Amino acid sequence: MRIRCPYCGERDNGEFSYLGDAAPRRPDGLEAQASAMHDYVYLRDNPAGEHRELWYHGAGCRSWLVVTRDTRTHTISDVSPARDVARSRRPGEAA
Amino acid sequence: MTSAWTPRSAWAGFARAGRHGRPQGEPGVRLTLRDGVGLATVIAADGQEDALGRILADRFGWSLPGSGAATLVGERGLVWSAPGQWLAVAEARAGLQGLAEALRGVAAVTDQSDARAIVRVSGPRARGLLSKGVAVDLHPRAFAAGQAAVTSIAHIGAQIWQRDEAPTYDLAVARSFAGSFWSWLSHAAAEFGYEVDREAEH
Ligand SMILES: [Zn+2]
Repeated sequence: MRIRCPYCGERDNGEFSYLGDAAPRRPDGLEAQASAMHDYVYLRDNPAGEHRELWYHGAGCRSWLVVTRDTRTHTISDVSPARDVARSRRPGEAA
Repeated sequence: MTSAWTPRSAWAGFARAGRHGRPQGEPGVRLTLRDGVGLATVIAADGQEDALGRILADRFGWSLPGSGAATLVGERGLVWSAPGQWLAVAEARAGLQGLAEALRGVAAVTDQSDARAIVRVSGPRARGLLSKGVAVDLHPRAFAAGQAAVTSIAHIGAQIWQRDEAPTYDLAVARSFAGSFWSWLSHAAAEFGYEVDREAEH
């Protein structure tokens, strides 16, 4: 499998480390119910199909990336800098 | 006051001057040990990339290379390392004097002159040699003079930039990996016959 890093171009997946699902967002630690924290820390979906996940280009530009990958075929349809994805989630700040 | 400390080449104890590997014909690869090079990482402060580019252009005559590029004039200039990060290169450490002061507030500058081991790879089989270890397409259509990559060679993190179309490449690895890296480089180059330009300074 190869991943097309938006900065470095297409690279062997051995240059990257996998973190996991990019969807979970950390609840506010002081406000959150224990159940919400438990969900954030432990519970993950395991879809057969499209999955948005975090990869780290440690052997290259050392950027965190959000990779959209089909778990059945490993076909990658999108790779975006995680920084842009995080910014686009914040209200009032564009990517 | 004199110092008991003397500079030692990053390649000392590993690289030997002279002709090695396949003995027939002209050497396919030439390895030039590059000691004493001035190096510094330049990391732009958030939102200061344009200001950084302007100061580097005004004060040093350098232009900021984009992703996967290097802008070098002779032995001086910048090599892209990561988003918002570059490696400043000069023929000697003194060549980077004033850089940190000039960039105060717009970028973090950290001297790396003693932190990397650099070797210049040239000769008619330079591309063939590196293709054996670099998982980046080095075909001239994909990688030409002025291009740079951060990748790994033999599981060792390496930064590589192409200087000219000959082709000539500069390779930088963390200094503590110089011995392991030389082990790969010398074995990979042996089939082409290679020449090391001079003895590493002890
Ligand atoms: Zn990258």
